[in-house]
Parts: sequence; C-alpha cells; structure tokens
Amino acid sequence: MLNENKEVMLEVKNIFKNFGDLEVLKGVSTEVDKGEVISIIGASGSGKSTLLRCMNLLEEPTFGEVWIEGKLMTPVDPYLHYDVIKASNTYKKLIAGGMDELDAIMKIKQEDLLQEKSGKEGSEYKSLMDKIYKENHIDTNLGRRKMSMVFQQFNLFNNLTVLENIMLAPVETAKYNKVKDLNGEKAKIREQAFTLLKRIGLEDKADVYPSKLSGGQKQRIAIVRSLAMNPDVMLFDEPTSALDPEMIGEVLDLMKELAQAGMTMVIVTHEMGFAKEVSDRVLFVDEGYIKEEGTPEEVFDHPKDPRLQDFLSKVL
Amino acid sequence: MGVYLKGFLIACRGIPATVAVSLIAIVIGAAFGLLLALCSQTKSKVLQVLSKVYIDIVRGTPMLVQALIMAYGIPWLLQSWGVGFKWDNFGGMVVPAVIVCGFNSAAYMSEVIRSGIQAIDKGQMEAARSLGMSHGMAMRLVIIPQAVRIILPAFANEFVTLIKETSVLGYVGVVEILRRGQLWNSSSFETFPAYIGVALAYMILTIPLSKAINGYERKMARKESAA
Ligand SMILES: Nc1ncnc2c1ncn2[C@@H]1O[C@H](COP(=O)(O)OP(=O)(O)O)[C@@H](O)[C@H]1O
Ligand SMILES: [Mg+2]
Repeated sequence: MLNENKEVMLEVKNIFKNFGDLEVLKGVSTEVDKGEVISIIGASGSGKSTLLRCMNLLEEPTFGEVWIEGKLMTPVDPYLHYDVIKASNTYKKLIAGGMDELDAIMKIKQEDLLQEKSGKEGSEYKSLMDKIYKENHIDTNLGRRKMSMVFQQFNLFNNLTVLENIMLAPVETAKYNKVKDLNGEKAKIREQAFTLLKRIGLEDKADVYPSKLSGGQKQRIAIVRSLAMNPDVMLFDEPTSALDPEMIGEVLDLMKELAQAGMTMVIVTHEMGFAKEVSDRVLFVDEGYIKEEGTPEEVFDHPKDPRLQDFLSKVL
Repeated sequence: MGVYLKGFLIACRGIPATVAVSLIAIVIGAAFGLLLALCSQTKSKVLQVLSKVYIDIVRGTPMLVQALIMAYGIPWLLQSWGVGFKWDNFGGMVVPAVIVCGFNSAAYMSEVIRSGIQAIDKGQMEAARSLGMSHGMAMRLVIIPQAVRIILPAFANEFVTLIKETSVLGYVGVVEILRRGQLWNSSSFETFPAYIGVALAYMILTIPLSKAINGYERKMARKESAA
C-alpha cells in the first residue's frame, strides 16, 4: 500500500504502558493515514483498549510518543535534547564537581537524573523546555478535539438531553475560542446537530434524556455527538459489545457509512465479519505487542503467527 | 396555657439568629467542603493528607469544644502573646460561632460531596475529556450537575443537623433559640414552658425541612424507576 500522497493523521511510537507492575503495552508503534480504517483485534485483556486510550491520552503512556497531525501530544522528552540537559542544574553540579561534559550528559541520561517536576533544574532549563514545547507540542485538549472516541458504554451525559449532548462540546469550544457571534454560532451548531440526528433518523428524540433510549439509539447518538466535533480521526472501543444482538446492525451500518464517506477510523472490535469488510488494515494485539498486521485477507485468511491462528480459530 | 405560648414566642425570637448562623455556615460548609473534596481527590499527596487531617480533627472533637477554643481560647492565646485581640472588635461573638459551624460542617459536607462525585460513572468524565473538554469544564458541566442531584438530600439533612447543633452556641454568647429560652427561664423561673417553647421553635424549622427532603427523595426514586 504505497501511496505517494498519504497523509499521516495519527502516529504512535514505541508506546509502553504499565499499570503498577502489570506491563500491558511493551512497545507499540503504528501510524494511521488519512481515510484509513484500521481494526484492532485480540483476546480480551490483551491491551486493545489501553492502546486506543493511549492514542488520545485518556491514558498517559508510561513511555513513548503520540503524534496527531504532526504535533506531539505526549510530553516532550528532555533527554532527547543535549542543550536542555546542559541547561539543567543537575548538569551544572556534575560539571562543577569536575566531570567531563560528555560523561555528565551520559550519566544524566542513563540514570534519569533530571528532576523536572520538582522545578529544581532552574530557569534556564525551564525556558528551553518551554520553547521546545511550544514549537512541537499541542495542547492535549486541542489534540483530543481532532479525534473523538466512541465507548462501549456509550457514556452519553445523563444530565443533558440528546440535543444538549450533541451541542455541549462544540458550543463550549466556540466559547473557549471566543467566537464573536456566539448566538449565530450556536444556531449553526444546533442546525448541524439536527442534520446529524436526521441522518440517523432520531430527530424526534432531540429533547429526550438518555435514560429513555435503547442501547442502539444511545450508541448512534454517541457517534453523531463525536461527529459534531468534526473530528479528523474517530476511535471506537468495542462500540457494539454492550448492545443487544438486534441492535448491533444499526450501529455497524452507521460506521460503514462513515468509512465509505472517507472518515479515518480506528476500531477495536470483536465483530470479525465487520472488521474484514470495512478495514484497510487489521492489527492483532497480543502479549503487549502488535503481533501481526496486514490487510484483512492477510490477517484473516492467511494468518502467520500461531497465537493469531489460535485466536481466530476460537472467534471465527 | 398562656405561659406556654409566651415561652414559645420568646424562643421564636431566637429563630433569626439560629437561621442566619446556620445559613451562613452551610454556605461556608459547602464551599470549603467542595474544596476539601477536590483536595482529597487531587494527585498531590500533601493536599490529600491535609484534608484528611482536617477532617479527622473536626470529626473527632465536639463542636462545643471547637466553639470554646475559637471564641475564648484563641483570644486568650493572642492576648498572652501581647496582641490585643477581641472578637467584639471583629463583629462580635457571632463571628467565631459562624466560623466554627461553617468549618465544622465543611468536614461533613466534604465526605458527602466526595461520595457524590465518586458515584458518577467515570465514563462521563472520559467522554467529556475525549470531546476535548478540560478537566475543569467536565467537572463544571457534566460531573458536578449530576453529583448535586445525588447529594442534595444529604446537603439538606446537614442543614437540619446544623440548625440543631447551633444550640451549643449559646455557650459562646450567641443569643439563639436555646439561649432565648434560658434567659427567660432565669428571669421568670417558668422552666418547663421555657424549654418546651425552645423545642417547639426548633421543630417548626426542622420538621418541614425534613418532610421536604423526603418528598424530594421519593420524587427522585420515582424518576429513577421510570427511567
Ligand atoms: N486503569 C487500569 N488499572 C489497572 N489495570 C488496568 C487498567 N486498565 C486496564 N488494565 C489492565 O490492563 C490489561 C489490558 O486491559 P485492556 O486494555 O482493557 O484490554 P482489552 O481492551 O484488550 O480487553 C488488563 O489486564 C486490565 O486488567
Ligand atoms: Mg477493551
């Protein structure tokens, strides 16, 4: 799949994630190109959700980088910049103690000596870090607006009606951006919300609270709530796993529609038929790694990894 | 019968003081309680420990003792250090009384608020964050409105408790309901009518409030089961 014009939307590099002593991800790297639909499959507990949640920093990776549209979402690593290390008080102390420049840098790097959080590294260090931060880094909240997440449990806001659920984040974003004609903007957002509701045939539910909806309706509304933020990438974490069987179809149909319309999507799913049908690429997550990846044909029809073969024989 | 009515009416003259102290105290309690609740949930160990120690101290000592320390102990201490401090120069004895009630109730309110916030499914916060809202925005727009509905009854119950607890403030010079009755008793020697009057004055405040809380809780329960 060599594509000259490919545009990387989302990239994760060397993601490690520990929960206490539990190492869930042990170095995962992948990139998501514009318009690509990626499915993530794997056994329960293998870290699929954790990987997806690291992508939009709902979980902070223990180690590694997340890039969204060429901007870094994870904290900037001071150890990657020699001039930053040299500006630190720790370095200055080592040098004052008679250590050689290069030795001091290596010692600091290897022994993880920078005490950044406590602010003990001084103002020179801080201003350099701030500069690098400004040049590369994107505010996490801003980054999250470019991608939105759909959850297994829908997570519609219980205190708001369907329409308010859809409008809340776009309106707050408009306020945050100090849009001049806020009322005009609100009217536009409202109109868009109704267009989205019509698209899923639920405009009559606009003023209803989530508790009055079926699971399938909740999930379709959660999806259009995400769409209202005009995301560049959509992340789905087992969007149909909490649904009654008869409602799975309506949600998958909506997702297929999005995929056909060119939306960039990353989908954790147990619906293998669906994954095979819509994906451009499938990732098999196992034991903390992406054990195998490829086109649906490669992964489902010609699996190479024995653990993938075993997994597929159980779920297919 | 007239003497009972008189006892009741005299006790009722303490109602404004009791209600005022309770109202100001509940506002302080809610605001400071929210702060304590948020502190106990931050990542900062120092703030967590501070809020815990504060709550332990307040819950582990009677309010009367706290009021005596605040009203008389602290001026004594300051005077022994040569600072000429008197509560009368700072608005009178009602000030330490309100402070003690407020900060006392904050310790209880913080627990109530904390459990209210914790009762909200963490998916609500995650959904808000994933839509690009900051932690503060998510708290303000999604979490706290849901938590308020849950804690409202406990909040009102705390107000009822406060109304009763302010009866100890007579000992630090606040002329509230109980103090009114006591003063009248010591001049008229109508001991039984005096204290019955006091009891009735408290009841006309607390019983309607408690009934209203029960009504609200029943209404919420009906809503939940209809949902
Ligand atoms: N917040 C957490 N704290 C501790 N352990 C967690 C947390 N989230 C996930 N885990 C653990 O990490 C492992 C991977 O979980 P998850 O990513 O949810 O797997 P999957 O989505 O593939 O089923 C599991 O063992 C799970 O118990
Ligand atoms: Mg999962």
